Amino acid sequence: MAAAAATAATKGNGAGGGRVGAGEAAGTRKKKGPGPLATAYLVIYNVVMTAGWLVIAVGLVRAYLAKGSYHSLYYSIEKPLKFFQTGALLEILHCAIGIVPSSVVLTSFQVMSRVFLIWAVTHSVKEVQSEDSVLLFVIAWTITEIIRYSFYTFSLLNHLPYLIKWARYTLFIVLYPMGVSGELLTIYAALPFVRQAGLYSISLPNKYNFSFDYHAFLILVMISYIPIFPQLYFHMIHQRRKILSHTEEHKKFE
Amino acid sequence: YKHRIQVEILDAKTREKLCFLDKVEPQATIAEIKNLFTKTRESKECHNEHDHSFGQGPLDGTRSCARSCQAEGCDTILPTDPQWYPARQSLRLDPKGKSLKDEDVLQKLPVGTTATLYFRDLGAQISWVTVFLTEYAGPLFIYLLFYFRVPFIYGHKYDFTSSRHTVVHLACTCHSLHYVKRLLETLFVHRFSHGTMPLRNIFKNCTYYWGFAAWMAYYINHPLYTPPTYGAQQVKLALAIFVICQLGNFSIHMALRDLRPAGSKTRKIPYPTKNPFTWLFLLVSCPNYTYEVGSWIGFAIMTQCLPVALFSLVGFTQMTIWAKGKHRSYLKEFRDYPPLRMPIIPFLL
Repeated sequence: MAAAAATAATKGNGAGGGRVGAGEAAGTRKKKGPGPLATAYLVIYNVVMTAGWLVIAVGLVRAYLAKGSYHSLYYSIEKPLKFFQTGALLEILHCAIGIVPSSVVLTSFQVMSRVFLIWAVTHSVKEVQSEDSVLLFVIAWTITEIIRYSFYTFSLLNHLPYLIKWARYTLFIVLYPMGVSGELLTIYAALPFVRQAGLYSISLPNKYNFSFDYHAFLILVMISYIPIFPQLYFHMIHQRRKILSHTEEHKKFE
Repeated sequence: YKHRIQVEILDAKTREKLCFLDKVEPQATIAEIKNLFTKTRESKECHNEHDHSFGQGPLDGTRSCARSCQAEGCDTILPTDPQWYPARQSLRLDPKGKSLKDEDVLQKLPVGTTATLYFRDLGAQISWVTVFLTEYAGPLFIYLLFYFRVPFIYGHKYDFTSSRHTVVHLACTCHSLHYVKRLLETLFVHRFSHGTMPLRNIFKNCTYYWGFAAWMAYYINHPLYTPPTYGAQQVKLALAIFVICQLGNFSIHMALRDLRPAGSKTRKIPYPTKNPFTWLFLLVSCPNYTYEVGSWIGFAIMTQCLPVALFSLVGFTQMTIWAKGKHRSYLKEFRDYPPLRMPIIPFLL
């Protein structure tokens, strides 16, 4: 459930990072992309999402300047954050209908883990909203998403500036651990309140003979970061080596 | 006059030359080639008669086996090579193509005087019987741990106590008999067409079966268990469904066994027999799955336990995938396949 990597590790959104790099280097065009209508839609989607996360970034900066403090900035961007992060659910649909060539399962997992953190943790446990850890992952997500969605937009238009490609495959080195720390600290901060209120928990006896302990579930989620985080992180490091080295060689030949 | 065929085996990923078999009988099957391949790999223990020289590098095509000792007459393989017994091997004509079947005959493949086969290691293999036995023995045992309320599950005061609800005891009987039936069928009824499966499957499958068994058993045998809403009537109905489906499932397994003589790999269309439970073959390709899902639905109604319902749903999804696959292969193989049949649910799915 490593949500920070979330979408960072997805292979593509209209134009897969790997494929663009490899395609250019080999001097061949991609075999089949989305049709013109789908491309147009994806461009609009990615532009809107880039803009949305820019709104969040600007909101954060303005609130910081107005307040002069970085505490509790969450409240100033709560609405657009919920809206645009939830809007990422459409990415699952894009994969499902095949206009984006990524795995539906992987994308669902990544998007859902973030949506989970936004709604089932941060939204549901009011007490954690003023925690600094929330700001930690919000900032990490915001920067990641602005770069990622603009990466897709430019890729779809076949004009990907090197700077954006570089940023997408470099900044995660810092942003990903930062996001993960923010997420873990936020879940951790939520634990006592969840237990106290018995939030989203079902206890026996009931006629369905089933119980659910949200507190224990959250602990399991935190544990699940241990195997997943390094895997995604090193996957991204590997991707970075593959894609950025390709481009550099390509440039030398020109 | 027989032309012998030369067979070279390359690694499908690296294209490294793994083996060169000179003069193979054209009638040789892929199974025989796999055996030959294994033998050439096994006989590579070097007997210290000379110093090995590994200097030529793996792409020296003049040698019979790459990465082997370059000295004349010695083919010592580097010590890192795994043991590739035949069941581990997948041989293909195209590096990314389909695996050739063990029964395929060399002569009938589109090859000339030299056949190039691409090798892929399927990983450690384990027999189906072993996998099935471990998969099914686990739930049987785990369920009973919860039934007898062994310590450290429900709290000290409940240790080795017994539930006051009759349905709990009935459920335990049904669950145990179900898995005993499966174990006995694995040993005495099923005939497995594929001898082995990858070793990692056993971990995956056991997590699934054992995990779900523990989860279900925990709630059914819980001291705070709530018996079914409609009481004895609900339990009786559920028991009827369960028993009928178990008998049905067993009947289908027997029918499928009779269809395939021992030791053969022939495939035939299964038809209804005199046993009325097999008449479901008129409507579906895999009635054994239909009955299996039915059994679990019966068990879910009997215990009125949500995890059981979830297990039924997950099982149904998986069995539908298998049934569709089997249905498709029946359609492909037999032109006269009964058109009324659906994969798993009559008229629907």
